[in-house]
Amino acid sequence: MKKLLFLALLVLGAAPLAAVAESGPQLMTPHYHFDRPTIREGARLFAEHCFSCHSMSRIRYNRLETDLGMSAKTLKQDIMLPSGAQLNKGMVVTMRPKDATKWFGVAPPDLSLEARYRGVDWIYTYLMSFYRDPSRPTGFNNHVFPKVAMPDVLAPLQGIRAKDGSVIEKGSVSPQVFDQDMQYITAWLQYASDPSKLERDSIGPWVIAFLVVFTILAYALKRAVWRDVH
Amino acid sequence: MRVERTPGDTSRGASNIQNRGILMANEDQDQGERPDGGGSSHGGKAAHGDVDKGKRQFLAAATSAVGVAGVATLAVPFVKSLEPDASVAAAATTIADLTKVAPGMQMTVSWQDKPVIIVHRTPEMLKSLKEVTPDLADPNCEVPQQPPYAKNIYRARKPEWLVMVRVCTHLCCIPLYKPKPGTVEPNWDGGFHCPCHGSLYDLSGRVFKDVPAPRNMAIPEYEFIDDGSKVKITAMYPKAKLC
Amino acid sequence: MSGLLAWVDRRFPLTKLVKESMTEYYAPKNFNFWYFFGSLALLVFVIQVVTGIFLLAHYQPSASKAFGSIQGIMYDVKWGWLIRYIHTTGASFFFIVIYLHMLRGYLYGSFRKPRELLWIIGFVIYICLMAEAYFGYVLPYGNMSYWGGQVITSIVGAIPYIGTWLAELARGSFGIGTPTLNRFMAFHAVLVPGLLAVLVLLHVVALHETGSNNPDGIEIRDHLGPDGKPLDGIPFHPYYTVKDVFGVGVFLIVFSLVVLYAPTMHGLFIETYNYIPANPLQTPPDVTPAWYLAPYYAMLRAIPNKELGILTLFLAVVAPFFLPWLDRNPKAKSVRYRPVYLVMVVVLVVSMLVLGWIGMQPASPKLLPPARFFLVLYFGFFVLLPFISRIEPTKPVPDRVRM
Repeated sequence: MKKLLFLALLVLGAAPLAAVAESGPQLMTPHYHFDRPTIREGARLFAEHCFSCHSMSRIRYNRLETDLGMSAKTLKQDIMLPSGAQLNKGMVVTMRPKDATKWFGVAPPDLSLEARYRGVDWIYTYLMSFYRDPSRPTGFNNHVFPKVAMPDVLAPLQGIRAKDGSVIEKGSVSPQVFDQDMQYITAWLQYASDPSKLERDSIGPWVIAFLVVFTILAYALKRAVWRDVH
Repeated sequence: MRVERTPGDTSRGASNIQNRGILMANEDQDQGERPDGGGSSHGGKAAHGDVDKGKRQFLAAATSAVGVAGVATLAVPFVKSLEPDASVAAAATTIADLTKVAPGMQMTVSWQDKPVIIVHRTPEMLKSLKEVTPDLADPNCEVPQQPPYAKNIYRARKPEWLVMVRVCTHLCCIPLYKPKPGTVEPNWDGGFHCPCHGSLYDLSGRVFKDVPAPRNMAIPEYEFIDDGSKVKITAMYPKAKLC
Repeated sequence: MSGLLAWVDRRFPLTKLVKESMTEYYAPKNFNFWYFFGSLALLVFVIQVVTGIFLLAHYQPSASKAFGSIQGIMYDVKWGWLIRYIHTTGASFFFIVIYLHMLRGYLYGSFRKPRELLWIIGFVIYICLMAEAYFGYVLPYGNMSYWGGQVITSIVGAIPYIGTWLAELARGSFGIGTPTLNRFMAFHAVLVPGLLAVLVLLHVVALHETGSNNPDGIEIRDHLGPDGKPLDGIPFHPYYTVKDVFGVGVFLIVFSLVVLYAPTMHGLFIETYNYIPANPLQTPPDVTPAWYLAPYYAMLRAIPNKELGILTLFLAVVAPFFLPWLDRNPKAKSVRYRPVYLVMVVVLVVSMLVLGWIGMQPASPKLLPPARFFLVLYFGFFVLLPFISRIEPTKPVPDRVRM
């Protein structure tokens, strides 16, 4: 009885904690398989739509061959687009920060670690959330990143939507295809922020299995040695 | 030195029983022998003890073997992490764009913190290489200062392209490039002049006689890529001495 | 082989050391789950030193290069990501293991006479560990590293008279910068690990002098057999060497699951704000410390006055030092025989957990009342213990241990 009273007191003391809630825009969760084909497609789409402005300096081009199994041809043709691109160097755009700041107000950030910093849900939702806003210099705004300096480079694909989500102009692909494309790009950004995930997923089961075998042996040894202790 | 104790021996246990409270209901009354930590054979349990000991030894060996194998496997990534990493590998090679070098012009690029000169030689420059032979210390490149494919008077894969580490073999200064005939001395056909101690080289980097420098300048290992529009400098030729 | 051993023994007490500390050192036979964490702490220490050395081979302690060198380790160094993840996971696991190790002390009265010095050395180890974690956290020079560094050196600055000078000594500059990183690297890689190694050695020496406590809180050396060895004792080797190896196996499974499948632990082990480089012109919205320092941070924030807050923090960290003299129960040490003390320990643990959670939230006025409530409960444990321990009902303590 006394124990219950105590617990009740503790819970009462902690109750106000429940009132502290998280606030912010609702984020959508992407549902892609984090595998090599998905990431390769994401890399291709990234090179097509984002790679004029955003660097991925931590990712060296040759990594796409070894990590992702991308063919040398696809790599040269679809990915190594900026001038001066070299296999063993990082993915760097040629836009100079000074020019970029002049044109956009702020230089487009390097996106190598963006997925770590923002989280995968944020990035996916961001890519899906541009809308027409005549009050902005670019003519566009974003639900997840208000007053963003980035223009809606995805408009040709997605089309143009109003703030309430209604369609102003249709895009070149269907909403389902666009959604999938944005998921691919998100997967690529997730890979870029932590390429080790592919390796970890592949060696993980072996490491754990080995340790389980070791622990079972160690336990049997312990039991055998402790047999005569009472 | 073990003291035998059988269940029911209360000489020491009596006081224990009295001290027990309800909490102790499940306590094992057999205070028993203190185990001696190894193979124990007491009375009728002799055979059992041997089996136990064998099992213990096997398990100890098996666990140790698996453990050692695990540690050895784990050591591999740690040792490998000390190998030159991707950024070092990237800096180890330099790629130069040859389309920017017109005939008669040169370009000097930095490679592994060393200057490498690339000269787009004209036919006149190439002709002069044959004429300057009597003044040279090692005209036929006997001393291995270049990879085998550069062991010729052009000291190059392709005659018109000189790719050379621009470091004087005397005391490591960077020689001046003097391609114009008649500049350094009256009979000058073009070449290199080192300002530090006056060493002279021809347009293939071959060292002149009677100068402080002992050897021809070093030619690195390189290859042409992208249909010959670029050259990739990869490594020092192992036998060559820089300076 | 035995000839070689004899040669060594003539010149170095090898066999004697092994006998005295392992094969003829008797530990209570009733060690339970709570007794794994001492050897596990030693394991994590070794893991941190080894991974630390290999990280040091690539780290660059300058304001302009530090962040990049860490990313270099993650992206360019072969297996660099593995070594780094082991090191960050190890840091958090070091605290998990140490907190469980300390909790065992609370539960079974392992701080009581004659183990007061053992306890005090242990607490000095804990303080050094917090310092080690702090110095190490600043090194990657992310934005949280920078601002966390600022906050703690500011706290040092609050010390009366010498505070400003001490803070400048710590920073090596007017703000956090390259001089700070250089000296923090010296402290993190050399000074504190060296201190820790010596302290751990002293800790084990002190332990062997008194012998270990056990879950019943009784002294096994009170009941010796005819051979002079404790009746309830068993030689450390092979019994506890073998048991600890099993404990290591279980630990490594859990550890590897984290390293391989959840190394950032969703921002708990590697904070998201540290993925942007240090920016002296932009403080993150919430500068909260790592989870293992969070309870003390919650206590600090609960006090509205700066100096009093720091004093409270200091007292909170230092209070457990006095435990050996605060607990005055003459009959029993262990919670097994002290139901009231057990409740007190549970309240203490819950308070630390809740305060830890509060410490990781953004500052909010709504959190002040619960923070203050649990702060009172925390200090209440230490203030009330001398009185309660004298009068609490104690169950009869057995003579011999219970398995």
